[in-house]
Amino acid sequence: MHIAVLAKVVPDYEVPAGDFELSDNRAHSRYTRMMGLYDENAIETGVQLKEKYSASLTIISYGAEDDIPVLRKAIAMGAEKLVLVTGQSDDASVIAANLKMAIDNLGDVDLILAGQQSADMDRGVVHGTLAEMLGLTFIPQVSKIESENGGWKISQLTETGSRDLQFNGKGVFSITSIPENVPRIPAVRAIFAAKKKPVEKVAEVESNAMGIEEVSVEIPTMDSVCEFLPVEDVGETVKTLLTKLREERYL
Amino acid sequence: MKTLIVEIIEPKRLGELVTVSKEFCDTPDIVALGAGDVPGVYNKAWQTEETISANLVPAIAELIQKEEYQVVLFSASTVGAGLAGPVAAKLSASVVSEVIGIEPDLVVRRPMYGGKAVATYKITATPAILTIRRKYFEPAELEGTTAAETLTIAEPLVSLIAEKQEKSEGVPLEDAEVVVSGGRGMGGPDNFSMLQEMAEILKGAVGASRGAVDEGWAAPTLQIGQTGKIVAPGVYFAVGISGASQHLAGIANAKCVVAINKDEEANIFKRARFGIIADYKKIMPALNNVLREE
Amino acid sequence: MGRIPYWNISYGILIDAFAIPFVALFVYGMYRWWKLIRQGRARIRPDFPGKLGPIYLRALFTKGILGTKIYKKPYTGIAHGCLFWGMVLLFIGTALVFLNVLFGVPVFNGIFNRWFMSFTLDLAGLAALGGLLFLLIRRGFFSPERLTVPKERNGFISIVILLGLILVTGFLAEAARIAYNGTDPGAFVGNWLAQNTPLAHLAAGSITPDVIAGTWFPPLFGDTQGWLVFHQYMWWMHGLLALAFIAYIPYSPLVHVVLAPVNAALADPLPGPKMGVMDFSSFEDEEAEDTPPLGAAKLTDFTYKRLIDYTTCLWCGRCHEVCPAAQTGKTLSPKGVMVTLAEYLQQGKLEDESLVDAVSSDAVFSCTTCAACMEACPVCINQPKTIMKLRQHLIMERSEIPELMGKAHSSLELRQHPFFGTGAGQKDWRKDLEVPIFEAGKTEYLLWIGCSVTYEERAQKIAREMVNILDHAGVSYGILEEARCTGDPAKQMGNEFLFNELAEQNIEEFSELGVKKIITLCPHCYNSFVRHYSKLGGVYEVTPHSVFIKVLMESGKLNLTKSTKTICYHDPCYLGRRNNILDEPREVVSSIGELVEMPRNRRESFCCGGGGGNYWAEEEGTRINQVRTREALDTNADVIATACPFCLLMITDGSKKFTEEQKAFDIAELVSMQLKDD
Ligand SMILES: Cc1cc2nc3c(=O)[nH]c(=O)nc-3n(C[C@H](O)[C@H](O)[C@H](O)COP(=O)(O)OP(=O)(O)OC[C@H]3O[C@@H](n4cnc5c(N)ncnc54)[C@H](O)[C@@H]3O)c2cc1C
Ligand code: SF4
Ligand code: SF4
Repeated sequence: MHIAVLAKVVPDYEVPAGDFELSDNRAHSRYTRMMGLYDENAIETGVQLKEKYSASLTIISYGAEDDIPVLRKAIAMGAEKLVLVTGQSDDASVIAANLKMAIDNLGDVDLILAGQQSADMDRGVVHGTLAEMLGLTFIPQVSKIESENGGWKISQLTETGSRDLQFNGKGVFSITSIPENVPRIPAVRAIFAAKKKPVEKVAEVESNAMGIEEVSVEIPTMDSVCEFLPVEDVGETVKTLLTKLREERYL
Repeated sequence: MKTLIVEIIEPKRLGELVTVSKEFCDTPDIVALGAGDVPGVYNKAWQTEETISANLVPAIAELIQKEEYQVVLFSASTVGAGLAGPVAAKLSASVVSEVIGIEPDLVVRRPMYGGKAVATYKITATPAILTIRRKYFEPAELEGTTAAETLTIAEPLVSLIAEKQEKSEGVPLEDAEVVVSGGRGMGGPDNFSMLQEMAEILKGAVGASRGAVDEGWAAPTLQIGQTGKIVAPGVYFAVGISGASQHLAGIANAKCVVAINKDEEANIFKRARFGIIADYKKIMPALNNVLREE
Repeated sequence: MGRIPYWNISYGILIDAFAIPFVALFVYGMYRWWKLIRQGRARIRPDFPGKLGPIYLRALFTKGILGTKIYKKPYTGIAHGCLFWGMVLLFIGTALVFLNVLFGVPVFNGIFNRWFMSFTLDLAGLAALGGLLFLLIRRGFFSPERLTVPKERNGFISIVILLGLILVTGFLAEAARIAYNGTDPGAFVGNWLAQNTPLAHLAAGSITPDVIAGTWFPPLFGDTQGWLVFHQYMWWMHGLLALAFIAYIPYSPLVHVVLAPVNAALADPLPGPKMGVMDFSSFEDEEAEDTPPLGAAKLTDFTYKRLIDYTTCLWCGRCHEVCPAAQTGKTLSPKGVMVTLAEYLQQGKLEDESLVDAVSSDAVFSCTTCAACMEACPVCINQPKTIMKLRQHLIMERSEIPELMGKAHSSLELRQHPFFGTGAGQKDWRKDLEVPIFEAGKTEYLLWIGCSVTYEERAQKIAREMVNILDHAGVSYGILEEARCTGDPAKQMGNEFLFNELAEQNIEEFSELGVKKIITLCPHCYNSFVRHYSKLGGVYEVTPHSVFIKVLMESGKLNLTKSTKTICYHDPCYLGRRNNILDEPREVVSSIGELVEMPRNRRESFCCGGGGGNYWAEEEGTRINQVRTREALDTNADVIATACPFCLLMITDGSKKFTEEQKAFDIAELVSMQLKDD
């Protein structure tokens, strides 16, 4: 069994809102680069499957060469190698086409895992697009995977609970976070070993972008200024509060 | 523009998409997923009981192509997330997910960087596939029903073995959309029942600060913060909580914080969207009264 | 007339011959320990003045031989001192007798006989007996918890009986001799016994000697006179038991008599557990086949010094009594850890990797690395180092870490600071404040901010006030453009690798900027710089802010008014116990208010609970910071001062349980408040 996990390196997703700034419509380059939050859950899931079914595990990423040190952490968690398609596009279709190329090159991939959404664009589109390009089944928000009689038994989280699904064949699953797939801390030996594991760099291929133009990116003015509600008439206060919460769709 | 809605039969969810569709057309078409009548009025309606996205992709893509839809709306939900990418790829369509705002001429807005930024896009090629973030558009009132044609689905690839519905009471704290938290300002364990009542009505969960946990008024599993649970609810009610940074660390991603504290200097007000400077013993019963009446 | 050695004893020299097998037993027993201990890893011994080979002479004499630490508990200390020194004197006496027999050294003549051989030795015997009695009664009737938690060491009773019999038979033999030969000036115990006990009657013949002799003491070597026989019995018993005692040493807790001085002699006298830095080069090396264990999973992963620790440990529990974790209901007890390891060692389980689980990962991670245990240990055992080695194994080899500490750990890995979820950006602390950036060649001091002060709202105040003080004094200082962590939290969580990475990054930047002098705000940073960066090639002149303020004060650069506040000073472990900086902060406090001490202060200070990565811990049991804060509040001081941001945060939190007032301040805040505008 050969499992591929898609991973993306993103700027620190925990930068406090007050300290967040943009340059060229993207998070400022001063923020530390790190693996996407859900991608780590996907890698962890991949490593667990690898351990359970003696599979092999490859990390595939589309991005910049500078991010290789960060991606090594994914290898250290338990992968065999890394394939990096070097490119800078933010277009879901372009990224998917390039990931497809990398997967086709590997040839024998049975299962592709990806984080539910990237921690920068928060988009959750690439993996589904990729699945279709590969002609494979796509299942989003997967929490658990088991190999069963040559097929897969999968748990999927939904808005109202969860579902157990079953299917045969190859697939692309987007992985959500559950307590069981909290990313492991790579052992120090594994970190050193990861430094010696192969990294395959592949140049990006031309591919059509979607018909979407980015007009602007803005930091929403955080009206974190607290609005104090008058308390002369308590009944009125709470009504105002509830109305406001609903108006702003918090409730 | 010719618009198609694909959504599970659930009035609020459908309603939101209908609201959005009005930006593009007078009356949309629909593919309704699930059993039962299709609420609302549509030009054309299809229906299938299938709700597993992977099984729906071919039929929906085919339909979009055949009917030449220019805009397709899903909600940003499990089904929508499962459909958007594959359908877009099949049709070489443009897809924007998690849309929170629509402007004329196919200009849409969506958050990124965990909501720390908002991007505006212009879609230049149709079909445009949008997944719409929940709770951003007022759901339209759906009147009447529309008779639907059956959407034929090819042999399903993925089969459903079991489905579990979370009980609506006792929402896990981490997942709750509403969290009502009490701190040392609660003054004792008894009044936590006020918080409990409010949480129940709002289908939320009760949390606590370490102050309250320390006093033994709330179970340690309820502690929120740096050394407790990290939550990201839509609304976070902080009742009698001073707002120490270690506590705030646990609610960094809460969308709206409502603080009820009798000390106007309390740090929690720096993080709060709405503040009520008063004794919670006055506010909470009033809140519960109003909520109960509704 | 001088005393005659071996009086009334035929073949007395036999006792010397008997000594041979007993001493052989002793040697064999010690050799067995040596064989076990030798399986530990060799260690690198730092150079230190007053060192002879591996031996630290001063420590050998003070802590090792004089046992200075024991007297921290005066009663037990004195009892133990009486017993030990009594026995030592008696041993010397015996050795002198031996010299007299072999070489005719005239020890039984004149005043030396009277005052040493008779008086002093009687006194020594009495003292030893008294000490023994005290220890017996204490353990029998008032046994303190520390002795029994988690378990009590076997062998105490047999030692007491053995020692008791040796002493009693010695006195009785003496008394019998005196009863027969007449008073021996100086031997006050022997004289008294000879006159006031049945022995007197024995000697006077008022009890028929034969009755007693016949029933109880069958004649030896043909002597028939009862009291002579009695004397012989006592003499032989005394001699043989003393030999048995020597042979028993390596097979009982008595082994500490030998090992305590050894352990003291081998213990690096620098305060604190001295973790050193790890060398990871063999991991980088493609060729290297053997990579060292990271941390310790089994006994052979420890250095031999650690194994001597476990053998020497008395199970006295003094460490248990001062350990903040043990005292607040955590699973950890430093004594417990020592006991577990000692048992593994004794059972020869040197390769058994169940060791860590036997200690339990909970226990391993609840150590705050405060080093109070080391301070209390009478026999120079380094408990925190053992605990940290186990922790290193858990995190670096097994990737095991408690959940919250794990979050801080991964933040440190990802963002170079452990304050996950912080609401503060890098520059928040200096908002609306003009702070110079360190400029190569121009700035003298680097003001090192550190992670907690950068990212924790309450702690940010420390840096702001320190900046005010430095500006006031006109010091040439600057900060780094980018805030970082020294890596100390990584080290405390056991990840030496991550520590090295962060440290090397900082060292590189320091050398680029030509940093030579550093002022720290956090004792953890200070400790890292002086103890660990220096080993990684970063050698700087580092001054903790409390000391720097004191120097500024002394040189008259700070214009301070003294307030009437009473200020209770809490010693941060990494400043006080671990680096012996105790007086400077106190001098600063005294010059701005009235210093008040807590019962546990200076080197005996009690940890705030935040060390060892436990700032990020879900504490079970009582909260350590509340215990410490209570102690501080009980002094009724107006404010609590400290000189560590972690202490400040922990005590601020701890005080919330007891008061709504803000009680805890950093020393820089307090000083800044007293600065006079000129
Ligand atoms: C290492 C560390 C980790 C920590 N982790 C966490 C954590 O995970 N979670 C956490 O919560 N804390 C944590 N803390 C503790 C934190 O610093 C605070 O001590 C704690 O959050 C205080 O709890 P509180 O706000 O309930 O209590 P307080 O600070 O005592 O505040 C009580 C508040 O209630 C208000 N009040 C009183 N009476 C009333 C009334 N009748 N009506 C309305 N308001 C009233 C008061 O004005 C006050 O503001 C941590 C601390 C440390 C040092
Ligand atoms: S270092 Fe401190 S916390 Fe750790 S075992 Fe020793 S006394 Fe206990
Ligand atoms: S480690 Fe030291 S203080 Fe602790 S029990 Fe052993 S001898 Fe006593």
